[in-house]
Amino acid sequence: MQKIPLMLTKEGMVLARDVFRNDSATGIPICGKGTVLTESLITRLDHMDVQSVYVSGHPVWADGDRSLEDMLQDLDRRFEKVRHDSLTTKLYDIYVKYLKRSMGDDGGRREAE
Amino acid sequence: MDDEKRNELKKIIMDTKTLPTLPGVVNKLNTLSENDKSSVQEMAKIVSSDQALSARILRLANSPSYGFYRVSTISNAMILLGVNVVKSLALSSSIFEIMEKNSVGLWEHSLGVGVAANLIARKLGLPECEEISTAALLHDIGKVIISLKCSDAEREIHRVIREKRVYSWEAEREILATDHAEVGNWLAKSWFLPDKLSEPIAYHHDVTLSENHRIKTSVVHMADVIIKASGFGNSGDYFVPQIQKEAWNALKLDDQLMVEIVEELEDKLVEVKNFSLELQGSDATTG
Repeated sequence: MQKIPLMLTKEGMVLARDVFRNDSATGIPICGKGTVLTESLITRLDHMDVQSVYVSGHPVWADGDRSLEDMLQDLDRRFEKVRHDSLTTKLYDIYVKYLKRSMGDDGGRREAE
Repeated sequence: MDDEKRNELKKIIMDTKTLPTLPGVVNKLNTLSENDKSSVQEMAKIVSSDQALSARILRLANSPSYGFYRVSTISNAMILLGVNVVKSLALSSSIFEIMEKNSVGLWEHSLGVGVAANLIARKLGLPECEEISTAALLHDIGKVIISLKCSDAEREIHRVIREKRVYSWEAEREILATDHAEVGNWLAKSWFLPDKLSEPIAYHHDVTLSENHRIKTSVVHMADVIIKASGFGNSGDYFVPQIQKEAWNALKLDDQLMVEIVEELEDKLVEVKNFSLELQGSDATTG
């Protein structure tokens, strides 16, 4: 999941969170999570002054964004003292899967389910 | 020798004259809450008379560590969070203020553990979720005290962590002959916090020492481990602690629950990050 300015959204991206008017997380959502963005929908959101949205996966790369490999390397570093322990290794495995899926190139479709 | 050092340190740390000031309001609140006849409204009125304190309490009550948002009055906070929670937030608000300004990493770590503990407690359907969140918010308060009272030692501790690649409590024991969990417990005792708050603070590294609140302590232990696994915030060292089997069993955790907890937590942490950034942003503009 990634928060990006509405300007950078493209047709086909999937909303990872409900969208609210004025970006405030209160009131009635104007567009539900899981919705696939279309050009006309993006225009409508723009008219409603929505500044940014959460989309599934990691479709927009900016300078300073870290790649999946970097993230997995950091994860290894954080777990280096506890890899011998079977319980803690369960948590490690869960995080590996989580990172792969949330950064995966499946467009985040599974995340939106 | 170590005992001497430890007692010496305890004296320095617990010197009330230089401890973060306890707002006078808190004493009044203590007296009132011991009296069965006093109402929530009365107590709320006392807290509301200190505006800066009220603002800080409301800010914490509205933090993502608690499930609800938009707690706008102190009496609401007391009803939703409980008098005990508001009391401990009043006590810790001055410490939180220091943390927000000087140690953003630790502040984010604490917020994150608060959120994770709340999530675990709700998922497991445990009673007193708010108390668990508060204990989690406060679990590393000993680190703030060490940094306030022994800033030279703190630098040494950070050096030892870097050079020897050890957990912060290991480095603290080497330098100070005590650790932040014990220091946090001293503080909790001197503030007369109930043991459902002090036990998780004192024993979040070893839940087997917790006698009366093993479940709450286990939640805070797990929350701490998961937040460090996530890499959220900065608690002083980046090493994930080992999950204690006793904590895992006490909470009857299983693989599926853990997958769900991680998934939901990561979703929430995006909000926590925004909350923390907003606070820093507002501090930058107001002060």
